[in-house]
Amino acid sequence: MALRHLEFSYDGVPGASIPREWAHSGVVGSGDMEVLLFRREQQGKVKVKVCTPVVGFDHVWEKVLGKFVADSGCGDLDLEINDNNATPFIVSLRLRQALLEARGGES
Amino acid sequence: MVGSAALFGRTVTVIANDAQAVNPRFPVVYFGVIGMEEAYKMACAVYESIEADKDKSVGEKRPLVLIVDTPGNAPGKVEEIFGMNKATGAYQLALAEARKRGHAVVAAVIGRAISGAFLCHGLQADHILALPKQYGTIIHVMPLSSISRITKMDIERLEELSVKSPVFASGVDFFYRLGGVEEIVPSPAGLREAVARHIEEIDARKRAGDDTHTGPWGRGLLGAERGGRVTRPAVMALMEEEFDAVAARYLK
Amino acid sequence: MDWKELQSASFLECTARRRALALVDEGTFTELAGPRDRMTSPHLPELGEAVSFDDGVVTGVGLVGERPVFVISQEGRFIGGAVGEVHGAKMAGVFKLALRAYDEACRRHPDEPERYRPAIVISFETGGVRLHEANAGLLAHAEIMDLMQDTKGKLPVVAVIGSKVGCFGGMGFVAAATDAVVMSPQGRLGLTGPEVIEQEMGKDEFDASDKSLISRTTGGKHKYIMQDCNVLCDDRVSAFRDALCALLAMPYEELVKYRRIGSYALVKEQMGLTALAAALNPFDAKDVWQYFGNGEADALPELGTEEFLAVARRREREV
Repeated sequence: MALRHLEFSYDGVPGASIPREWAHSGVVGSGDMEVLLFRREQQGKVKVKVCTPVVGFDHVWEKVLGKFVADSGCGDLDLEINDNNATPFIVSLRLRQALLEARGGES
Repeated sequence: MVGSAALFGRTVTVIANDAQAVNPRFPVVYFGVIGMEEAYKMACAVYESIEADKDKSVGEKRPLVLIVDTPGNAPGKVEEIFGMNKATGAYQLALAEARKRGHAVVAAVIGRAISGAFLCHGLQADHILALPKQYGTIIHVMPLSSISRITKMDIERLEELSVKSPVFASGVDFFYRLGGVEEIVPSPAGLREAVARHIEEIDARKRAGDDTHTGPWGRGLLGAERGGRVTRPAVMALMEEEFDAVAARYLK
Repeated sequence: MDWKELQSASFLECTARRRALALVDEGTFTELAGPRDRMTSPHLPELGEAVSFDDGVVTGVGLVGERPVFVISQEGRFIGGAVGEVHGAKMAGVFKLALRAYDEACRRHPDEPERYRPAIVISFETGGVRLHEANAGLLAHAEIMDLMQDTKGKLPVVAVIGSKVGCFGGMGFVAAATDAVVMSPQGRLGLTGPEVIEQEMGKDEFDASDKSLISRTTGGKHKYIMQDCNVLCDDRVSAFRDALCALLAMPYEELVKYRRIGSYALVKEQMGLTALAAALNPFDAKDVWQYFGNGEADALPELGTEEFLAVARRREREV
C-alpha cells in the first residue's frame, strides 16, 4: 500500500527541450497531479518518474506518457510526476499545459 | 480551576482544567472540555501572574503549573459565532508571553491531552511531563478509528503502522519519541518532585539567557535528537540557505 | 497567467502559488523550499498517500515597496491544506527568516523602522492538523504560535482568508493571533469545522450541508461585524493585495490596534463578549447582527461587498 515509484524512458526529439533549466506545473489535488520538468541533453530522450498511490495501471502510464512525448514532439527532458489518482485524460492535459507554460506560452 | 499554591515553599500559579465540571451557560462544555469562558479565564490567570511579578527578575518570577486532563475545545455553534479560535489562541499567546518574560511554565499531563485543547493547555509550556499510559493518559489528535474514518485508510493497516510510526499514532510514548514530552514520570507520587525539578532546570536556563531548549522550539530540537522529527530541521536549514543567496535583494 | 493578469482574477480560484506571487510587488517573489527542492512529506508514502513537492504550502519572500514581505500560502487542493511536519516546518522557517530580517533592518536602519520593517503575510487555506501525521502537525502548530508571540512588538503578521477550504482547526487560532485579518465574504474562519459541530450538536442545531448557515457563522461578513476580520474585500486578487498594502502602509503602532487577542485588556474585552454570548444564546449569527444594530439582518448575506460595508453595523471595540 505504500506509494509506488515508476520509471519510463522514451525517444523524443533532440533539442526539443524547454528554455529554462527547470519548470513546475500543477497541484496534487484529488484526481490531479503535478510535474517538474528538467532540461537534460540526453540524445532526445524523455525520462519520466511517476510517484503514485495507484496500483495496476503501469501499462496505462506507459501508453499515456508515450503518446504525450510523440504528440508534443518534445525531447531532452526529465519529468517527475506526483500523481493523486489522475485519469489518463487529466494526465495528458496537465502534461500539455506544463510544457506550454514551461515554454512561456499560456495555459 | 485557577489559583495560587505553594510547591516546596515556592509560590506557583496553578491552572488545572476541571475534568468533571459542566458549564451551565455553554452546553458543549463538559468533562474537561475547554470552552470560551474557560480559555479566557486561564489566559487571565496567566496575565495576572505576569503583572504580579513584573518587577521581579528572571528566576524569581512565579512558575506556572498546568494540570492537563482535557478532551478538546468546545465544538459548538455559539462558540463559532463568537470565535472559539480567539479563546484558545488568547490562552496560548498569554502562556508564550509568560514564558518569554521569564516565568517557568510546566505542564503535567495526568489524563487526556487531546488535539486543540492540548495545544492551548499544555503545548505552550517550557517543559511537558506526562504520566505513563497505565494511569489513563492519552495524548493524540484523534483516535485511530476516527483517523481511519476521515482519511478512509484501513484501520488494520493504521494499527500495524502505528507500531513503528509515531507521527500519527496515539500515546504518551510516541509523543516522547517526537520530542513532544520532556519526561514521562513513572507514577503520580513522583509528580510533585518532578514538577519542582523541571521548574529549577527551566529557571536556570532562563537565568543563563538560553531560550532555545525550552518551549515548542526546544521540543523541536528534542524531536530531532530522539529521531522522531528529523525532516523539520532540514527544511528550515534549506530555507535559510536559499534566503541567504537572495537576501541582498530583500534586505536593503 | 502573469502578475498583471492575476490581479483581476478571483482569489477564491487561485492556487497557493499564484496567491503568493500576486500579493507582493510584481516580479519580486522568490520561493524558498519550492517544488524543485522536492521537500515532500517523509510520512505520507508509508501510508500510500500521494505526496507534493511543496507539501501543500508555498513559502517565500517578496517586496512591498522597500519592505521585505515573507509569504506563507497554503494549498487547499492538497489534503485540504493540512499541516504536517514539512508544511509546519516551512511555516516556522518563514517566521524565523522574518525575525532575522527584522534584526537586520534594525541594525541597518535604526532611524527608519517603518520603511524597512519586514512583514509576514499568511494566505490561509487549511483545516489545521494533517491527520496522516497528526502528532507532528500538532507540535508544528505550537511552534508557530510560539513564533507568533516572538513577532509581537517587532513586525506585523497579516492573515488573508478567501480560499475554498477556509481556515479551520489549529490554524483558526493562528489566524486569530495575527495582527490583522483580511477576508472576502467567501472567506471562512473558525476553530471547529461544520461537520464536527453537526456531529456534536445534531443536525437540527447545525446542518453542515447548509452553505448559507456556514457562511453566516464563519464567513467574512460575520467576522467583519464581530471585529474578528479587520478588512472585508471583494473576491479579487487585487482587492486582497490592496488591503495588504494599505495595512502595511500604516504605522506599526496603529496596525497592532487591530489585534483581537494578545494582551490582558484584549482578553478582558473578549470575556465581556463571552458573557454576551451566554446572555444572548443566539440560535443564529443573525441574532447577533441584530443585537449589534443591524435591523435588516436578513438582507445582509445578499448584499455586495460595497453595499454591505456601507450599511453594516459592527460590534464596538472597547480596547
